[in-house]
Amino acid sequence: MNGFIAFMEKYFIPYAAKIGGQRHLVAIRDGFISTMPLMILGSLGTLINNLPIQAYQDFMNNLFGEALWKSFGGNIWNGTFAILALLTAFTVAYNLAKSYDKDALSSGVVSVSSFFAIGGLTGLSSSGLFLALIVALVSTELFTRLSGNQKLIIKMPDGVPPAVSRSFAALFPAMITVSIFAMLTTILFGLGVKDIVGEFYKLIQEPFMGLANTLPAALLLAFISSFLWFFGLHGANIIEPFMQTINVDAIAKNVIAINHGLDAPYIVNKPFFDSFVNLGGTGATIAIIISVFLFGRRNKQYVTVSGLASAPGLFNINEPLMFGLPIVLNPILFVPYILAPLVLVTIAYFATSWGMVPAATIVTPWTTPPIIGGVLATQSWTGGVLAAVNIAVAVLIYAPFIKVAEIQEIRREKAAAAGEETKDNF
Amino acid sequence: MKTIMLVCSAGMSTSLLVTKMEKAAESRNLEAKIFAVSEAEAPDNIDKIDVLLLGPQVRFLESKFKKKLEPLGKPVAVINSIDYGMMNGEKVLEQALTLLGE
Repeated sequence: MNGFIAFMEKYFIPYAAKIGGQRHLVAIRDGFISTMPLMILGSLGTLINNLPIQAYQDFMNNLFGEALWKSFGGNIWNGTFAILALLTAFTVAYNLAKSYDKDALSSGVVSVSSFFAIGGLTGLSSSGLFLALIVALVSTELFTRLSGNQKLIIKMPDGVPPAVSRSFAALFPAMITVSIFAMLTTILFGLGVKDIVGEFYKLIQEPFMGLANTLPAALLLAFISSFLWFFGLHGANIIEPFMQTINVDAIAKNVIAINHGLDAPYIVNKPFFDSFVNLGGTGATIAIIISVFLFGRRNKQYVTVSGLASAPGLFNINEPLMFGLPIVLNPILFVPYILAPLVLVTIAYFATSWGMVPAATIVTPWTTPPIIGGVLATQSWTGGVLAAVNIAVAVLIYAPFIKVAEIQEIRREKAAAAGEETKDNF
Repeated sequence: MKTIMLVCSAGMSTSLLVTKMEKAAESRNLEAKIFAVSEAEAPDNIDKIDVLLLGPQVRFLESKFKKKLEPLGKPVAVINSIDYGMMNGEKVLEQALTLLGE
């Protein structure tokens, strides 16, 4: 075990850490994070309109008329999910330019402009999401490089306000960047590609999302996250850009399906992980706290740390447990910490695909306590039951290992006490 | 008056630690401003602070922040993971003060 840990520390962790700090991935992640409040609001809009309680629906219909009261949720949808790609084009470019210490605002503006130069209004919603990401990254790379070119800057006489001269500094680089995208679109048009957004969606985004919606993909995501955490790296944070890219459109598509009274097509998404797998944090660590109180009470360190970690753990913050217990680099807990999420993903996946629980699709803040999160994300009490079952399963997975840790601790204490006694005798 | 900034991925668990550190500072009659932010917000706060401490789970950010802060003479360090897990405000405050050379 020690050899394995040393090997991973040397050959694997540095690369994982590099991915965690990679500029473009960080820009994508932070770009999505800034639209997260809107995704949560958009989900709530859907929730209000589609709450599956007939009495509530009848009451609202009688009071306001269906078209009127549902228009509120509809308006929210228009302001959130309907313009997802547009927002992403801006926020990702903004964050990328900021990481280069370049004019972030102009980069965001140029990116949105470039994005529209490609598809006009067709790419506005989440269908244009991948394209928006690519345009944001490429246009910002182009624009920030061009902005650094002295030959492209129009010199202003002294006394001109800095804000004015800054907008002139961006003039040529912005014009060139947007023109490149416009020209590219014209060339593709000449070659017979009439709808770039639609073609790109069919060719790349849809197959990719289909692939990401499978059980193996879900298992891989769960594995990477807890594996990195075991080495003390914020696994969820590192895979967040991939998670978000896959998930945001999946959620949007689910919301549309629900709005039309259909089943949600994408089972694997971020609310799925938040509500059924990351219970108490990555690795379903709320189950460790429960296991310690049920089966490991004689391990004083575990009890102290679990007590300390239980309040934050209720809100899925598990760092005290990760570093305090510790779980990080703990050879006893390695197996259950990796295994539990994989088992939970499998249970939740089949429970959803067999129709026992509706697909998780409402975005809730990741700090929503376990079980409550399951109810909200699926708009169904069965989601809460699934989360509770998963917690119970995780407790069973952790329990034997917590017991082993307790036995070891007691043995160590005894040895220490025996050591003390022999010392006293001399 | 020293300003200490803690950074982790969302600024959640570090904010727990901040409360403990504030208590520790209070009990030694130390005037210090301690706050926690997410990784994304950190660069905007650099001018205001004297020292930056990173949560151990984001230790891969160390070199990035060192590049920015060391030319300004502001130390950057990763919090000891045991102290972090036990939310030991006393020890972490001590670490910050040592970095500041006090």
